[in-house]
Amino acid sequence: MDDINLLNFFLSDFINPKKRVFTGYLILSILLASLWLLLIKQQTLKSTFRKIFDKKILWSGSAKADYKLFLINRVFTFFISPLLISQVAISTALYLFLHSVDFFNQNLFSDTPLSIIVALFTVSLFVVDDFTKYVVHRWMHKIPILWAIHKVHHSAKTMTPITVYRVHPLEGVLFSLRSVFAQGAVIPTFLFFFGGAVDLYTIVGVNILVFFFHATGSNLRHSHIDISYWKWLEHILISPSQHQVHHSIAEKHYDKNFGAALAVWDWIFGSLHLSENKGDVVFGLDTYESGKEGKIQDLYLEPLFEIARIIKIFSTKIAFRIFNRLSLIKDLFSFQIKKNKS
Amino acid sequence: MIIKKLKTTTAIVAIALSGTIALSDGYGPFPVTLQGYSGDKTNTVSYSGQIARHVLEQSLKKLAGKGNGGGNAADLEAQMLSYFNGSDEDLPIIAPKSKDGFKIKQTSLHQISKGKNISGKFYDGAMTAWPGNMSGKDVAYNMIAMAAKSNKGFDADTGYDWAQLISKYTMGAMAYNQAVDNYLDEKLSAEKKPNDKPYKDGVHYTGKEHSWDEAFGYWGAAAHQHGFKPNKVYEIAKMKNQGAADKNGDGMVDLKSEYVFGPTYYAAAFDRSGTKSTNYTSTIFDAFLDGRKLITAAAGNALTDSERSQLKAYAATIEENWEKVLAEAVFKYAGSVYKDINKMKDLSGDDLNKAYRAYSKHWGELKGFAMAMQSGKSNLGATATKMNELMGFGPVTLNNSYVTGMDLNGNFVMDRKRSWSDYQLHMLKIQQMMVDTFSVKARVNDGLNDLQALTDKLDSASSAETD
Repeated sequence: MDDINLLNFFLSDFINPKKRVFTGYLILSILLASLWLLLIKQQTLKSTFRKIFDKKILWSGSAKADYKLFLINRVFTFFISPLLISQVAISTALYLFLHSVDFFNQNLFSDTPLSIIVALFTVSLFVVDDFTKYVVHRWMHKIPILWAIHKVHHSAKTMTPITVYRVHPLEGVLFSLRSVFAQGAVIPTFLFFFGGAVDLYTIVGVNILVFFFHATGSNLRHSHIDISYWKWLEHILISPSQHQVHHSIAEKHYDKNFGAALAVWDWIFGSLHLSENKGDVVFGLDTYESGKEGKIQDLYLEPLFEIARIIKIFSTKIAFRIFNRLSLIKDLFSFQIKKNKS
Repeated sequence: MIIKKLKTTTAIVAIALSGTIALSDGYGPFPVTLQGYSGDKTNTVSYSGQIARHVLEQSLKKLAGKGNGGGNAADLEAQMLSYFNGSDEDLPIIAPKSKDGFKIKQTSLHQISKGKNISGKFYDGAMTAWPGNMSGKDVAYNMIAMAAKSNKGFDADTGYDWAQLISKYTMGAMAYNQAVDNYLDEKLSAEKKPNDKPYKDGVHYTGKEHSWDEAFGYWGAAAHQHGFKPNKVYEIAKMKNQGAADKNGDGMVDLKSEYVFGPTYYAAAFDRSGTKSTNYTSTIFDAFLDGRKLITAAAGNALTDSERSQLKAYAATIEENWEKVLAEAVFKYAGSVYKDINKMKDLSGDDLNKAYRAYSKHWGELKGFAMAMQSGKSNLGATATKMNELMGFGPVTLNNSYVTGMDLNGNFVMDRKRSWSDYQLHMLKIQQMMVDTFSVKARVNDGLNDLQALTDKLDSASSAETD
């Protein structure tokens, strides 16, 4: 691999509009942050600039760890992703399954006007994708084994757009699989019922809705710029500030705002928390769990140790239960034998 | 003395000339290498018998569509059999025939070769893809009898298109079988048809030269098509480009060397369509050409072991790619059948009948090619069993019934029903099977194409971002 390929291997996300950290989106995010600080927060140009490019944040120990993880995870992804089930495989299996159910009528809606088919597909894909993100993210917090993995992301004490890459490789695997299943479900279903006209509305090759999500500052979710929306809008879309609440160490913020782009899921399932703008939110894990945010080795290995501990405790519990049952049966038998003897 | 000198000069010139020609890119002419040969022949390439058989097959296909619903059954069957079994009399060529802008040199069989038939060179092992537990050849006789009784080669009740079934099946059971299971197989052994002896007494070509030429003849390529784009080869077969076909510029297309027949035609058809990522036409032609050059270079000596193993490698290339072409055909027509069913679902009345006719035609091609694949050298084993099961003995017809077997009187039994959607699923599975088992790449009429295209467009990795 020569130098240029190596550079491309590590930094290609910055020139790919499908990725959140695409340079264009980053520039738009800076623009948006500036407008927010200048116009809404009434700050001077100088302090706006200082706030956005705050050295203490961009070069904190936590941020440096983010950058390292970004590079190392790249290598992990390269080796792991070919091992995962491919989307085509899932799509094909589902497509074949739909044929096998006589009740379903292929091309049932193929007479629908093209623009409606495309709009419907674009929206469905976005909504299903977003909903599955909500569900999996919720699991990441609620299920102990998954929380052990997801803690890596929440151990960030300062946040920059690169923090989105601050995840354990196992989390990357789970989210890739989520995406594969979500899209693998929507695509064949649409093709089966709507026929070959199914297509996507895109801008620069990206789902138009995903594009808007990114172009309107998705990068600021992981930052200290606490842009909030009107209350009604925060019931529909997650604002950067709401996501920052999600990263807060305050107890009242625990397990809130799991949503990616849409807030409606949090609203429906009772995990919505509107932004507060009561001064800076403190990011990270509470003291009991923190302290490992800057050590690369710990970030990769600690989750594995923790999972091992959880499994150990769990299996001990199970073993105990089985043992109890067995001794119960034994007692029952011996009781029976005694009874017979007497 | 002068005469002797003249003879020597002529011989030198002849050898020099033929040598230059042999180095040209066409399949022949190739010089005489047979040691001790004293005749005046200069070219050893000879496969007119194979060309005659291709013509018999094409003519038979035409005849299969001439039935009038039973009235002419006996006569027509007899006529078809004369083409299948051969005839002492000179038979007119029914196809391919001259048309405006494409003049064909020969009009009767004897102008190509005498005493040739299809039946003597037909796969005669078990053919489980067809009802009735018959041998490969008996299936052909059964089809011929059925075609003669039908109305224009079509039986609406069963959905059988006899012309397609007979012609595609023959392309495998005769041409593919003879080439890969005979000439490129046992005739490449050291003992059989050695290169230091004439193919048979009195001929000017060696055993190996002629064995190889026979296989080439079955492949059905134009001798001069080396370097042609697939589309040009395709146009010759479709009789759309006399300029490309007429190598010697005599204003006529000589079936014996200038025309393109079935097997090559299909290779070219797949190279020029679908994903356009294949080159079956040139791969197979080049392997034939290189093999022939190798034999010629042996200069009438028995082939050494290393020469024979090289020749076998060429034969393996031919065989493997020929099988792929047949698999591509199965893939393509499974896709056609899939699409046809989609069309039929929305139609009724005359439109439906018309679409059903097209569907039956495509199914006939599908089945014919599937049977062709099963008449080669290798037993396809479980693949064949699974493919036959998915395809069934007959297409799902308008009332959803389909042929499930044959009774003792030779009538087709249609005692089961299947939904069209279910049958479509089978077609997709057949396509998947062709990809998994034979790695087909042209993939014309890919039923899963839209899935792949949308998946590529979305690039699932992009959504791996987490929050």
